[in-house]
Amino acid sequence: MNSEKVDTALAILEKQLNQPLAAALEVCARCGICAEACHYYVAEPTPEHIPAARAEELRKVYRAEHDFLSRIFPAWTGAERLTEEKLAQFAQIAFDKCTLCYRCTANCPMGVDTPLLMSTLRAMATATGNAPEILEMLADAAIEKGRDPEIYLEFFKDSILDMEQELQALTGDPEARIPLQKKGAKMLYVALAGAHTILPAAAIFETAGEDWTLSIYEAANYGIFLGDASRAKEIARRIVDEARELGVEEIVISECGHAYYAMRWLAPNWFGEEFTFRVRSIVEVLADYIQQGKLQLDPSANPEPITYHDSCNLGRKGGVLAEPRIILNAATTQFMEMTPNREEAYCCGGGAGLVALPEAAELRMLGGKPKADQVRASGARVVAAACENCRLQLGDLSCHYGLGVGVVALADLVVRAMRLPGAKESIEERMTAEAVAAKGN
Amino acid sequence: MERILFLQILAGAAFVFSLLAFAGRLRAFNRLARPADRAVPKGSPRAGLIYAYTLGMAPWAKESTRLHTIAYLRGVAFHLGIFLGLGILLASPWLGQLPPAWRSLLAIGAGLGALLGLAGFAARLLERNLKALSTPDDYAAVLAVSLFLAGASLWLFVPAALPFFYLASAAMLVYAPFSKIRHCIYYAYSRMFFGKFVGIRAVLPHSQQGLR
Repeated sequence: MNSEKVDTALAILEKQLNQPLAAALEVCARCGICAEACHYYVAEPTPEHIPAARAEELRKVYRAEHDFLSRIFPAWTGAERLTEEKLAQFAQIAFDKCTLCYRCTANCPMGVDTPLLMSTLRAMATATGNAPEILEMLADAAIEKGRDPEIYLEFFKDSILDMEQELQALTGDPEARIPLQKKGAKMLYVALAGAHTILPAAAIFETAGEDWTLSIYEAANYGIFLGDASRAKEIARRIVDEARELGVEEIVISECGHAYYAMRWLAPNWFGEEFTFRVRSIVEVLADYIQQGKLQLDPSANPEPITYHDSCNLGRKGGVLAEPRIILNAATTQFMEMTPNREEAYCCGGGAGLVALPEAAELRMLGGKPKADQVRASGARVVAAACENCRLQLGDLSCHYGLGVGVVALADLVVRAMRLPGAKESIEERMTAEAVAAKGN
Repeated sequence: MERILFLQILAGAAFVFSLLAFAGRLRAFNRLARPADRAVPKGSPRAGLIYAYTLGMAPWAKESTRLHTIAYLRGVAFHLGIFLGLGILLASPWLGQLPPAWRSLLAIGAGLGALLGLAGFAARLLERNLKALSTPDDYAAVLAVSLFLAGASLWLFVPAALPFFYLASAAMLVYAPFSKIRHCIYYAYSRMFFGKFVGIRAVLPHSQQGLR
C-alpha cells in the first residue's frame, strides 16, 4: 500500500510519460561514457556523479512499475519501489546534483535525455512537497504579481523615473526615456529585477534608435526549475499577455539563460501555439545591431584579456553560440576562448536554480570547479557571461578559487565600447565592484 | 538430424517470439504522446536529424567518445557483430553451401563480436564506474549476446557446434525483449529526439560546421 505522496509522485511520472521520456528511460545501456561530461564528476570522480547513475534512480522506479521482469525479479534489474525516503532522495539528486545542462546528453552515444529525467524527478519532488521552498516561493510570487500588477506598478513606475535620470546622465541625452507599456512598440524588452539589466539595454536601444518598451514583469521563470510546467506557463503567460496587449513584434529577453530558454523554446509548447511575435535574446539583438552598423563601438574601451562563458541555456540548449562572439570581437581587444567552449562548454555549476539555494552552496562550488579551472587556464582577467545566474556563480567561483577575475555582462561591455559621455566608471572599478558583490553573496 | 531440425524450429520460434515481443513494445511506445515542438526553428531540424544518425556518431564528434575511443569502438564493433550474428542465424540453413573462405570470414566477424562482448563483460566486472552502474541483467545481457556470437563463430568453424549455436540463439532471443537488450528498439527514437533538439536550435551540426 503506497502512501499518498508516493501515489502522487507516481501519478506525475505516468502523466509525463511521453515518447521522449520513455525513450530516455529505456535506451540507456549503462556504458558510463557520460561520466566526464558532468561537471560534478570532473570535480569529484565518483560513480554517484555519473549522469547515468543519477538517472538510474528514476529508472529503478519506472522498471518496478512498468517492466515485467522487474516485477518478478526486481533485484535482477535493480528495480525499486518508490518510497517517501526515495522521494526526498530524488529531490536532492535532481535539485542539488544536476543543473540540467544537457552536456551528458550531447555526449551520450544514445542521446539519452538525462535532463528530461531530472526534470521529471523535480516535478515528482515538487508535487509531493519535497522541492526547495525558496524556488516555490519565487515561482508563486511571480505568479501572484501577474494576477494583480497594479499593486506594485506605481512603485515600479517611480523607480523607472529614477532610472531615466541615470539613463540621461549616461547617454548625455536629456530626452532619453525608458518607455513603459507603450502600445504598438516594435519590441518588448523583458529585464530582470534591478537596474543593471535595464540601464545598459536602454542606453543601447536609445542609441540604435529602437522602437521599444520595457515589460512590467521580470524575465525569470522559477517554474521551470521546479519541473512544474503549469506554474512555468503561468509565469510566462504574464509576458505573453503583455506582448499581445501591446501588439509588439517581438519579445526580447534580458541576459538570462533560463528565461530565454523558457520563453524561446518551451513557452510555445506550453501554450500549444506558434507565437505571433518573435522571441529573441538581447544577445542576438546586440549582434544584429553590430552587424547592421547601428552601434559604433570602440573595442579599446575594453582592453583587458577577456573570455566568454557559454551559458548552457543560451548555448548548448538555446543555440545562441555565434552571437556572443560577434559582440566580443567587436567590443573588446583581447577576446580569448576557454577550452572547451560553445556547445561543449562546461556548466558553471550554478544553473537550474542552484544559485538560489543556500543549502547547496558547497556543492555549487564543487560543481563549478571545472569552470574555475577553465577560467584560470584561459589567462583572462575578465569573464563575460550572458546569464545572470552564471555571473553570480562565476563571481562566487572567483572568490572561492581565488581567480581574481571580474565578471561582466555583454551589454555592459557594449555600453563601455559605445563610449557614452556619462560612462565614466572604468572596467577595473566595475570588476572590483562585482568581485566585492560576489564576496558578499 | 531430427535433433537439428528441432533446434532449428526452436531458434526460429524464439526469433518470432522476440520479434512479436519487440513489436508489442514498439506498439506501446507509439501509443505514448510525442509532443510537438512549436517554437519557430532557428536552425534546421533536418540537419540535426541527419547529424544525429551520421557524423554525430563519429568517434571524434563528442568529447566522451574522444576520451574513450577504444571503449566506444569496441561497443560499435560489438553491435555490428550482433547484426552479423542475426544474419548468420537467419541464413544458417543455407550457409553450409558457402565456400569455406566465406564461412571463415563470417566466423571471424562473429568471433570478434563475441570477444568484444566478453571484453565488455570483463570491463563491467573490473572497471569501477561500470561495476557501480551494472545490474545482474547487464551482465546476463552481455553474456547472452556474446555466447550467441560465439556460437555462430564456433559453428562456422566446427559444424558439430550447430546445436550450441541454436540453443544460445534461442536463449538470447527469448531473453532480449525482457532485458537491457531491448534498448536497441529505442535507440533510433532517442537519436531522433536528440537530433531534432540540436537541429531546431541551430546547435548541431551548425556550430561545428560554422553554419552560423
